[in-house]
Amino acid sequence: MIETPEFQGTHLWERLCWAKEKLEPYRSEYCVVWEDPNDMENPAKVTHPDPNWMACALQGGILPPVQSYWELKKDENKPDFVKHTRGPELLHNMKPIDAMTEEEAIEYLIMKDIPEHVWRDWDKSNKPKMVICKKDQLPGTREWRNAWQISEDLVINNEVAA
Amino acid sequence: MVAHGTIAFDTLTTSDQVNTGTEKSLDTSYIFNGVLKAWLNLDGTGTIGISDSFNTASVTDNGTGSYAKTLSNAMSNSLYATGGGHNANSSFDANGRVLPSSTTSVVMYAQANGASVDASIVTALVSGDLA
Repeated sequence: MIETPEFQGTHLWERLCWAKEKLEPYRSEYCVVWEDPNDMENPAKVTHPDPNWMACALQGGILPPVQSYWELKKDENKPDFVKHTRGPELLHNMKPIDAMTEEEAIEYLIMKDIPEHVWRDWDKSNKPKMVICKKDQLPGTREWRNAWQISEDLVINNEVAA
Repeated sequence: MVAHGTIAFDTLTTSDQVNTGTEKSLDTSYIFNGVLKAWLNLDGTGTIGISDSFNTASVTDNGTGSYAKTLSNAMSNSLYATGGGHNANSSFDANGRVLPSSTTSVVMYAQANGASVDASIVTALVSGDLA
């Protein structure tokens, strides 16, 4: 396995350039199906990890901690926000996170790219608001795509929804 | 300065003798500022699949002809430029939109004949300042 250079202090975009050139994309068979309780008129959404991003996550030493994105989001939501000023502090100079397993990478991505009100209380209503599943568990055609919903009959145990 | 395979310089200069004979200079930061910061080529049919990309963390399938792409390296603010298109229905009524949603998210819509459609090629380009 190729060794990741010491990237703390290197611009994240430059790290992504390195990864694009050096790492093989990793196509995960997992995706995340989720429903936004604030947007129930629309169908369930399905989030897929990017293969190049997955390669960075599995490699380690490239991506910033997910908390960096939460801080950026907080800054962006401030009424007087003009532009990010903490990019160097949060993305480029922050110690990159170590290699993740595929499962950890999916969890990171959920906390980065899916609204917090969805993943924080994903199992606190009549049916789950979010499910990690394999792509082959999705409907085979998109004919009724705009009617997709998470089934109310879904059984949840402590670790998985199946 | 040349060290460890890195050439560091602030300005590129050419005499341009072949064409105009007038020397031209360019601050190298202009080059970085001008290049695309993210791009995506997506298959939006079936179970959607990311064909290739750069600076993309995930893609969300929001419904027929509606997708969102997130960035790994955030943009400086949401006033960046986007572009892209799709190949569904080659009629003149085909319409694709790619728009900034936040500093880390871009939304993409594919339409043809006034209706949302799934396309086997959906592309998105992002240009602007990085955070």
